[in-house]
Amino acid sequence: MIRSQAVSLAALLLLGGPVYAGSFEAYVATTAGKPVEDSVVVVEPVVKAVARHHSTATIEQRDRELVPYVTIVQTGAAIDFPNRDPFKHHLYSFSPAKRFEIKLYAGKPAQPVVFDKPGEVALGCNIHDWMEAYVLVVDSPYFAKTDGNGRAFITNIPPGHYRLRLWHPRQNSEPPLREIEIGAAPTQLNLAMDIAPRIAKQKPPVEADHY
Amino acid sequence: MIVRSLQYRIVIVFVGLLLLVMAIVLALVTRTNGRIVFAEMERELSAGTQVFTRLIEQNQRQLETAATVLSADFAFREAIATQDRPTMRSVIRNHGLRIGAQAMMVISPDGQLIADTQSNSAELRLFPFPDLLLVAESAGKSTGFRQMKDGRLYQIVLVPILAPKRIAWVAMGFLVDDRWAQELSGMNGLAISVIRRSGTSVAVLASSLDGPKRSALPGALTRLSNDLSQAVPIGDEHYQTVQLPLGKELSVVLQRSIEQAEAPFRSLQMALWTIVLAGVVIFSIGSVMLARRIVSPVNELAAAARRIEAGNYIEPVPSLPPDEIGQLAMSFDRMREQVASREQKILKLAYEDTLTGLPNRTRFLEAFNQLPADCPCAIAVLNLDRFAMINNALGHPIGDRLLREVGLRLGLVMPGSVIVARLWADEFAFLLEGADQASAMSIAESVLVKLRDPITLDGQRLDVGGSIGIALYPGDGQDAPTLIRRAEFAMNAAKRRHVGVAFASGIGEETQHEHLSLIGEMREALARQEFLVYYQPKLDLASRKITGAEALIRWQHPEQGLVPPIGFIPFAEQTGFIREITPWLLETVAAQTAQWSEEGLSIVPSINLSTLDLLNTGLVDQMRGLIELHSLPANGLCLEITESALMEDPALALAHLGELAALGFKLSIDDYGTGQASLAYLKTLPVHELKIDQTFILSVADSPKNAAIVRSTIALCHALGLTVVAEGVETSADLAWLADNECDIAQGYGIARPMPADDLPDWIAAYSVPAFAT
Repeated sequence: MIRSQAVSLAALLLLGGPVYAGSFEAYVATTAGKPVEDSVVVVEPVVKAVARHHSTATIEQRDRELVPYVTIVQTGAAIDFPNRDPFKHHLYSFSPAKRFEIKLYAGKPAQPVVFDKPGEVALGCNIHDWMEAYVLVVDSPYFAKTDGNGRAFITNIPPGHYRLRLWHPRQNSEPPLREIEIGAAPTQLNLAMDIAPRIAKQKPPVEADHY
Repeated sequence: MIVRSLQYRIVIVFVGLLLLVMAIVLALVTRTNGRIVFAEMERELSAGTQVFTRLIEQNQRQLETAATVLSADFAFREAIATQDRPTMRSVIRNHGLRIGAQAMMVISPDGQLIADTQSNSAELRLFPFPDLLLVAESAGKSTGFRQMKDGRLYQIVLVPILAPKRIAWVAMGFLVDDRWAQELSGMNGLAISVIRRSGTSVAVLASSLDGPKRSALPGALTRLSNDLSQAVPIGDEHYQTVQLPLGKELSVVLQRSIEQAEAPFRSLQMALWTIVLAGVVIFSIGSVMLARRIVSPVNELAAAARRIEAGNYIEPVPSLPPDEIGQLAMSFDRMREQVASREQKILKLAYEDTLTGLPNRTRFLEAFNQLPADCPCAIAVLNLDRFAMINNALGHPIGDRLLREVGLRLGLVMPGSVIVARLWADEFAFLLEGADQASAMSIAESVLVKLRDPITLDGQRLDVGGSIGIALYPGDGQDAPTLIRRAEFAMNAAKRRHVGVAFASGIGEETQHEHLSLIGEMREALARQEFLVYYQPKLDLASRKITGAEALIRWQHPEQGLVPPIGFIPFAEQTGFIREITPWLLETVAAQTAQWSEEGLSIVPSINLSTLDLLNTGLVDQMRGLIELHSLPANGLCLEITESALMEDPALALAHLGELAALGFKLSIDDYGTGQASLAYLKTLPVHELKIDQTFILSVADSPKNAAIVRSTIALCHALGLTVVAEGVETSADLAWLADNECDIAQGYGIARPMPADDLPDWIAAYSVPAFAT
């Protein structure tokens, strides 16, 4: 255990050096072989001794949608919820990882919301039922979400021993964690997930908002 | 069954036809009704089922919408998100009230029941309807009818609680009870029940049916084999029933009361039956009345016809209304009058003598037959004397008027109880009821007295007389024909004897042979040669030789033996059959004479001619042919004629006699002295011989009166140049007397009885004239 911590430490020391940085590419598809978008791929160091990037993410309310659909932040990160629509929204989350509520507001709320616990957070708008967005709060700086082709690419991962975690807001079951080794050479993996189809919620046409 | 009464037949036909028509109408209506009811019921059921399905769907959507709205309530979601069970329970209770759900449950995404209005138990348990969850997970929501722990049925709507990701399920249960069923029933018009089948048992969970039927429903439905529309009896009603599946073991039963559907048609049928019954009653009464109206006049006519049939023409046929039957009745009445008048005419014709107006023979016989059998009576027959002569001399019109006058007189002279009838020609008959010999005699004599008054016709005075024969019942015969015949015999006897009145009993019994007077029998006899000719010798008193013989016919009857001429000749004369016998007789005698002549026997035979023979226009030619055929001299045959034969048609008789005499035949007058012919009349006749009747010859030797008559007759005849023959000579004394008194020829048993032709030659050879003085 001590030995391994030492190795990790060494790895951390070498983190800034591009020579030693590894990369990970994942291709996520459904069990039926269809590429999955918005799958979150997280490479978690086995030893939690990573630097915290208190980065700020933004989830916009635009055109009565929460954009992006999936956001990944490291624990402790704050997220801004700017309202780009000409009317108010009422953002809320009942998720245990982060319960909050931004009551009817326009423009940018005064304070961003800090997500200080790892876990998934489902966001909704109380006055627009179809609006939804998901935030996955993770304890790792190495994460990415798949694009429309089901691909996710993570760079600058120090080589080492990691746990690979997959998540998707509509996953039918939590995929098991798996151990991966990140080396100098890019690591590539094809991954499968059981995803429920996105049920389109009824959204009234835009004009209807102007009545 | 054959109904003979016209009245019943009319009624049966009328009512029967009505019943037939009504039966057809009823059958048609019933059948059509049945079809309409069935079709209507099926339509109602199918429409009701559709309505029901729509209502359920609509209801479900409304519930789902309501549930969805409720589940989207922020506060509700917030409360659920707290995961605090007491809070959750109070929230769902509150929101259940809002939405009107009787049961509310919150289910965790993994199927745990985390809040439940029906239970306060802190214990976690699984949501009891995982199948609903399963559906909801894929479809977003689900609805179903489920029976809950409390045993009641709920319509459960399961919707997710989204935040925005599904954080829980909320199940809202809406009670499905009788009120629910009644509400829906009110909308689709069908009886609605929700049942649960487990195995063969059926439980009713909700029903719009009322108490007894609701409890009878499970029993009725257990027998249901499938879900197809079919009739199910429940209580005293029938329901057309369909079943819709409502979930596991659950079905909705939709029913339409057949009785209710039929009710309008029932009332139509009732109306029709009422019409039928009323129609039958009205038709029965009407047709009975009509039939009576038709039949009663017919019956009256029938009664009238029976009256007419019985001979009652007096009562008129009742007059009826002037329809066809009335016209028939009028015709009937005219017929009655016509029949009555014709019957009177017929009766008159049948029973009345048209000439005299007296009853005729038929009426007379009937009157006799109507007399009681134990009542003695007499029948008298009157025949006018000399009527033929009067008729001939003065013509038939005078004869008829004479008969009418006589009839008139007879009618006047007779007491009312006596029936006078004209039998035929100049013969009248009297039926004397209760008369004995004496009273009959007095009546007969009074008749003769009355007739003795001369009758004047066209200024001509006519003396008519009559002879009466009387037969007494029951002494002389039992029936009218016998009595009349015997009276006629008596009458003839009276006429012959000029005694005026004679009784049948006084002239002796009828002989048996009178009965065998059948032409057929005689014709057969002629063909079979049963007739024989006997000859009775005639003795010439001067030469004392047999010079002639009278040919007498006999009938050798196969059963009755030898029948003398009196037994059949009078009948042959009456019927005209004598015209066939006489030629045979003439031929036979001529042939016999020729034979004797050849044998050297010279006999002149005498042959009797009847009135008909004498009046026969072929007689002269026949006689001429006869002598030519047998090469006989004309004077070799003698023809005997009676006085009465001459009287029938004196002119024709005289003409024939003249011709015969001219030919040379010997002619003889027979039975002289019994008729009215006078010698003066005879003198004019071309006759050669005269035969004195045997009544004068009988014992002429002993009777001075007879002797005087015979002697003077002989003298007169000789004076006129006639030969005299005496008939019926029986004794030698008479024969001697005749010889002494110069009678020319004698004939009789005293000389010889008639004998067969073959015996005659030998008899002549052997005959020796008895000794008598000359």
